[in-house]
Amino acid sequence: MKRRVFGVAVLAAALAWPALAEYPEKDVQLIVPYGAGGGTDTAARLVQPHLEKILGTNLIVVNMPGAGGTIGATKFAQSKPDGYTLAFLPAGTAVMQPNLRKVEYNENSFDPVCMTIDDPVGVSVGPDSPYNSLDELIEAARKGEVSASGAAPGSFSHIGPVLLGRGYDVQIKYVPHEGGAKAARSALGGQVDMLADNVGLIKKFGLKPLAVLSGERAKTLPDVPTIDELGGPPIRLSIWYGLFAPAGTPQPVLDRLSAACKEATSLDAYMESVQAAAYTPRYLDSAEFKAFFQEQYRGNATLFQEIGLKK
Amino acid sequence: MIAHLPEALSLTFSWSVMLALLAGSVIGVIVGVLPGLGSALGLVMVLPITFGLEPAAAVAVLVSVYACSIYGGSVSAILINVPGTPQSAATVMDGYPMARQGKAALALGWATMASFVGGMFSLVLLVLTAPQLARFSLNFGPIETFALILFAMTTIAWVSHGSMVKGVLASLIGLFIGLVGPDQMTGQTRFDFDLFVLSGGFALVPVLIGIFALSEILIQAAFMKDASAPTVIEGGFKLAPWREWRIRWVTFLRSSAIGSFIGVLPGTGATAAAFIAYADAKRRSPRTANFGQGEPEGVVASETANNAVSGGAMVPMLALGIPGDGVTAIMMGALTIHGIVPGVYLFRDQPSLVTSIFLLFCLANILILVVGAGGASLYSRLLRAPMSLLMPAVVLLSFVGAYATRTNAFDFTVVIVAGVVGFLLRLNGFPLAPIIIGFILGKPLEMGLRQGLVMTDQNFLAFALSPIAAFLFALTALVLFQPLIKQAIRVLKGAPDGA
Repeated sequence: MKRRVFGVAVLAAALAWPALAEYPEKDVQLIVPYGAGGGTDTAARLVQPHLEKILGTNLIVVNMPGAGGTIGATKFAQSKPDGYTLAFLPAGTAVMQPNLRKVEYNENSFDPVCMTIDDPVGVSVGPDSPYNSLDELIEAARKGEVSASGAAPGSFSHIGPVLLGRGYDVQIKYVPHEGGAKAARSALGGQVDMLADNVGLIKKFGLKPLAVLSGERAKTLPDVPTIDELGGPPIRLSIWYGLFAPAGTPQPVLDRLSAACKEATSLDAYMESVQAAAYTPRYLDSAEFKAFFQEQYRGNATLFQEIGLKK
Repeated sequence: MIAHLPEALSLTFSWSVMLALLAGSVIGVIVGVLPGLGSALGLVMVLPITFGLEPAAAVAVLVSVYACSIYGGSVSAILINVPGTPQSAATVMDGYPMARQGKAALALGWATMASFVGGMFSLVLLVLTAPQLARFSLNFGPIETFALILFAMTTIAWVSHGSMVKGVLASLIGLFIGLVGPDQMTGQTRFDFDLFVLSGGFALVPVLIGIFALSEILIQAAFMKDASAPTVIEGGFKLAPWREWRIRWVTFLRSSAIGSFIGVLPGTGATAAAFIAYADAKRRSPRTANFGQGEPEGVVASETANNAVSGGAMVPMLALGIPGDGVTAIMMGALTIHGIVPGVYLFRDQPSLVTSIFLLFCLANILILVVGAGGASLYSRLLRAPMSLLMPAVVLLSFVGAYATRTNAFDFTVVIVAGVVGFLLRLNGFPLAPIIIGFILGKPLEMGLRQGLVMTDQNFLAFALSPIAAFLFALTALVLFQPLIKQAIRVLKGAPDGA
């Protein structure tokens, strides 16, 4: 009996070994659940050429946009866990949408490979805004005079003002937009008062940053105080991106990918391009990223329930 | 700007950049001509190729693909009644009738010149006033955008040949299919009947392909007597005599201006701009009755405006980092990957690079003329193939284009259903353009309205407090009631005489 089990194990190993040893032996698809040129696509294409070189294979970007990234993520969750279909998912698609709407995937559908970018969310106002500090903004909000722009409810730019409102016990009127760029336009034009979005965007659009919703200052905006420094509620909000494999991907494949990701994200050329594009690089390996991902997923489930956004 | 010209020139005029520009314009025209593959897809396709190039060469490929693909769409619109790109949907209305009258070469000549003029006009505007225009565009918040789109909707009245009721019905079909999918105001999905494939809504290209391309092919298949007959007999490239140009110069100018401004402003885009310019030309032209029957002015208005959008849309993209439409959004992503990050600091930090982008854009527009004139005989030779070969090829390419936009197999079904619906609508004399207008403008119109209502605490009358919105509302009313007003004036003028 024992011998038979051993025999089967050897046979299985013999069958599996060459396949794994040679991974990747063909082109790998990289699903990006947003359109070409968007924030997610850009973040993915910054790391993609380096990963290609390290893995020694083509990494083909497949843009599958639609419904907050859930169309692409669903297709991805249903694909074969053999390491030949990967996805580059933003936090919104990975940990917010499934808590917001009925989708065909959940926290158990993916094996996190590595995190590449983690951009803290900042609170900003238009360049001509009368508010010059977070206190002034909150003071105005106490009088019910502050509106915020952002993407659809359940997005980071929505959760930001919601958490500020809860933390300071004020009301902030929320005006949803068709995406980050349009929300920024309304904040720049002064049609709405504030925008909470990633620090890279705030810098790029020339908005006036008031605070960073993080424990430490952002490298992109080093002069902007954190919400802790300002004595505010301990709000932590960041927009991260990472590489995922479908759940059930063999561990050796995950390890190979995670190592390749580490190598790619520590290259000088990659670092420079990421910083030029105003992203904040942050590498987490497979295990760290998995813990982080699960914590975020469950945290959002609770949060969305509390603020009445739960599906 | 002038101060940075020498450096920009040295960046621009190298062999690799010139070669990249030429390659980009050829690729651009090809993706434009082929139905289903448009500017957006063209840019996505060349994006990986640009990685290996120096930034100036990469920009050269991108801007030439962008500018030339918009032009390319007009070729198939004129020759086979199928807009090659969404931007050329308005060109079909007069371009194809011209081709049927044996004036295909003339129509291509008009379209090529119109594309060139529109592109150059918008470039001049971009170079001279980009920062100022970008700042002005920020005055267009949700309420002003709503008013602008409402005005754009009036074009439905002008592109509905024949029956107005049918035009309005067609626009309602477009409006409704535009509502399917995510509702950005609530973050929930609408009208998806719990079907996963509908949760992302409908994409423009598959709908357009079905409505225009597949339905045209079905019509051909159903009513064509001789399948071996060539599509167009006369081809090539011909410019109309000078006097023909002289009487239409106003349309060149007005459509250029309309296209450029629509490009700068949020919410509408090149397809709508072409329709707005078309409606404007039809309203104003002394040859109104000829519109829809093969009036060159219709081709000119549409093609000038859609190319003028390219320069206009680059204004907020370069100066603010906010793309003017879907195509410039891809362009911006591509530039970002090359380390050129559009935004408020681009003009300050990389002025010579910005100048070289302008130069490349100018050269790309000149190449429209070269590739347009040079390629025209080629297209007509291609189109001399028997219908029984040409049409299946168009179907195949259309499906590829429809799929490639979102890599979603559901879009095949969309093309087929839209094709059958388009076929039935054509048979019953419904105009097709209003479907597209309703589809692309419906959602932004609704978003603007609902955003505005949140901002004004559900007080619609407060919309008129915005001077820009009030002006646009008045303009909308004026355009809608123009026939009545004209009649009233006639009666009032005539009344004293009669009394």
